[in-house]
Amino acid sequence: MLMLKAMPSTAGDPARDAVPATKMRLSIHSEGSRGLRFLLDRGAHSVFLACALVVVALIVGILVFLSLRGFAAFLPLAGNTGRTLSFAEVFLSTEWAPSSDKFGILSFMAGSLSVTMLALLVAAPSGILTAVFVTLLAPGWMKTLMRQVMDLLVGIPSVVYGIFGLTFLLPLISAKWLKDSPAAGFFAAACILMVMIVPTIVSLSMDAFEALPRTLDEGALALGSTRWQSIWRVLIPAASPRLLTAVVLGMGRAIGEAMAVQMVIGNNPAWLSLMREATDRAPLIRFLFTPAATLTTELVQELPNTAAGSAWNNVLFAMGLLLFLMTMGIILATRRLGQRGAV
Amino acid sequence: MPITDHQEQKPVKLRARNLDFSYGDKKVLDGISMDIFAEQATAIIGPSGCGKSTFLKCFNRIHEVSSEVRVAGDLEIDGVDIFRGGIHEVELRRRVGMVFQKPNPFPKSIYENVVFGPKLFGVRDRDILDGIAEESLRKAALWDEVKDRLKESAMSMSGGQQQRLCIARALAVNPEVLLMDEPCSALDPIATAKIEELIFELKKEFTVLMVTHNMQQAARVSDYTAFFWLGRLIEMGPTERIFTNPRDRMTEDYISGRFG
Repeated sequence: MLMLKAMPSTAGDPARDAVPATKMRLSIHSEGSRGLRFLLDRGAHSVFLACALVVVALIVGILVFLSLRGFAAFLPLAGNTGRTLSFAEVFLSTEWAPSSDKFGILSFMAGSLSVTMLALLVAAPSGILTAVFVTLLAPGWMKTLMRQVMDLLVGIPSVVYGIFGLTFLLPLISAKWLKDSPAAGFFAAACILMVMIVPTIVSLSMDAFEALPRTLDEGALALGSTRWQSIWRVLIPAASPRLLTAVVLGMGRAIGEAMAVQMVIGNNPAWLSLMREATDRAPLIRFLFTPAATLTTELVQELPNTAAGSAWNNVLFAMGLLLFLMTMGIILATRRLGQRGAV
Repeated sequence: MPITDHQEQKPVKLRARNLDFSYGDKKVLDGISMDIFAEQATAIIGPSGCGKSTFLKCFNRIHEVSSEVRVAGDLEIDGVDIFRGGIHEVELRRRVGMVFQKPNPFPKSIYENVVFGPKLFGVRDRDILDGIAEESLRKAALWDEVKDRLKESAMSMSGGQQQRLCIARALAVNPEVLLMDEPCSALDPIATAKIEELIFELKKEFTVLMVTHNMQQAARVSDYTAFFWLGRLIEMGPTERIFTNPRDRMTEDYISGRFG
C-alpha cells in the first residue's frame, strides 16, 4: 500500500534512480518484519500507558497524602503527638501562636486574599487594556513583539521577581514614601505579584480578542460605531467569558505564589493585631505597609521547623490542602467559563 | 463614462468615477465608473476575485479597516464626495448600511442587536427603542418569529434568521442605501428565498446594491445588473436586457456558464 502511494509522487522526481531503492526498502520492511512491528506496537502502547498511569498515580497520591495529613489536625489519628483541633479554632480564629497552642489561620487566609485582590485590582484592567491595544489598535509588528515579550515574562522564575522586589522595590518605597521605615507588606507583595500575573492576563486576553471573528468588528463599524464604540460595546463584551478566564487564571497564579511574596511581605503572622494596635498611621497606609503573611509564605517559613505529627505540623498541612482546593476550584471555574464562552 | 443603457427616471444615488483600488501592489479595481439609482436594486455579478465585494465595501469605507489600501478616483453619494468631501465616515455608515456575507450578529440579545445602532446615536428612550425594534424586525420579516423571544441570545437563532436580524439591525438606523455582500451565500434555499423576497420589498424604500455569485438571484431580484471581470466593469444595464441580450461577448459567456 505504502509503495503504491509513493510511486506516482516520486515518478516525476529528478532523482529518479532513488525510487527503486526506496521501493525495495519499503517492501522488505512491510513484508518481512510484520511480527516484529506488531510486537513494537504493543510494546510502545504499554510504555505510553505506563507513563500515563505513573502521572495519574502521582497526582492522586499527592492528593491522598495531602488530604490525610491535612485532616490529621482534626482527627484523633495514631500518628498525632499533639491534641486534636476543632475546625472553628483553626479556620475562624486569627490567633496564631503555636508555642502557646493557638492555631488560627484566618489571618493567613485574609492575607492571601488581600494580596491577590490588590494585585488583581491593577493587573486585570491594565492587562486587558494592554491586550485591547496590542490586538485591536497597534500595528502588526507590535503584536508579534508583545506576544514574544509576554511569553518570555511568563517563564521568568518567581524568585527572580522576589530578588527584584527585595533589592530594588522595598528600598525605593521606603526611601520615597515612608521616611526610611520598612516597606515590607501587602503593597510591595501586590506590586510584585502584579508584575508576575500581568503577562499571563495579557497573553490570554490577546488570545480572547484574536479568537473573535473579524466580522464582528466590521459589523459594529458598518452601523456607524467609532473605533472605541466598537471595542467597548461589542468586542470587549463578546470576549468577556474568555477575559474572565484570563483574570481567574492570573488570580490562581497569584494565590499559589510563595517565593516572591515571601521575600517582600515581611512574614509577620500576627499582622492583624499589629495593624489594630498601631495607630500612628492612617488605616489604609497601615494596611499596605505592615509586615504580613499569607498561607503560602507561612508554609514556606514554618514547615521545615515543625515535627511530623505535631498539631503545628498538621495545621500547616491543612493550609496546604486549603491552597490545593482553592487552586483546584479556580481551575474548574475557568473550565466552566471556557465552556460558556464557546458559543 | 459608465457603460450602461438606462432610461431611468430615478435620480442617481451613488456614483463611481474612475475608481482604482489596490491592496499593497495588487490592483483590485481598475477604473470603475458606474451609476446606481435610488430605490432600485442593483446586482453585481462576476467570477470570484473580480473585485465586486471590494467595490461594494468602498461605499461605506469599511475597507479602511484593513491597512495598506490605496484608492484613487471618485465616489459620490447624492453628489457629495465620499472620500474627500464633507462627510464623516461615521455619518456615511449611518446612511449606507451593510449586510455581510456571513451573518454576524453580536453575541447579545435579539433586541440589543436591533437597537445597537440607534443607541450609538444617542437614543435612550425605551419606548422609542421598542418602536424602532418592532418596525425594523417587521421590515426584515422577522417580527412574527421572534416577538416572544426578544431577550434571547441572537446566537440561538438559525442562520437565515441571523441574517434577517442583521438586515433588521442595518435598517434600524434608517439608512438610505443598503449594501449586501453575497447575503445568501451561507444560507440554505428556503432561507435564501426569504431574503430574496425581502430584498424585493426593501428596494421600494431603499437603494439596494448587492453582490451575488448566483445569477438566478440577480435575475430574480435586481432591476440593474453589472458584470465585473478582473477588476473592471464590463457591462451594466437593465437586468432583463443583460440576461436576454448581453452586448459584450464576455458577459454572454459568463451568464451562459462558459466560464466563471
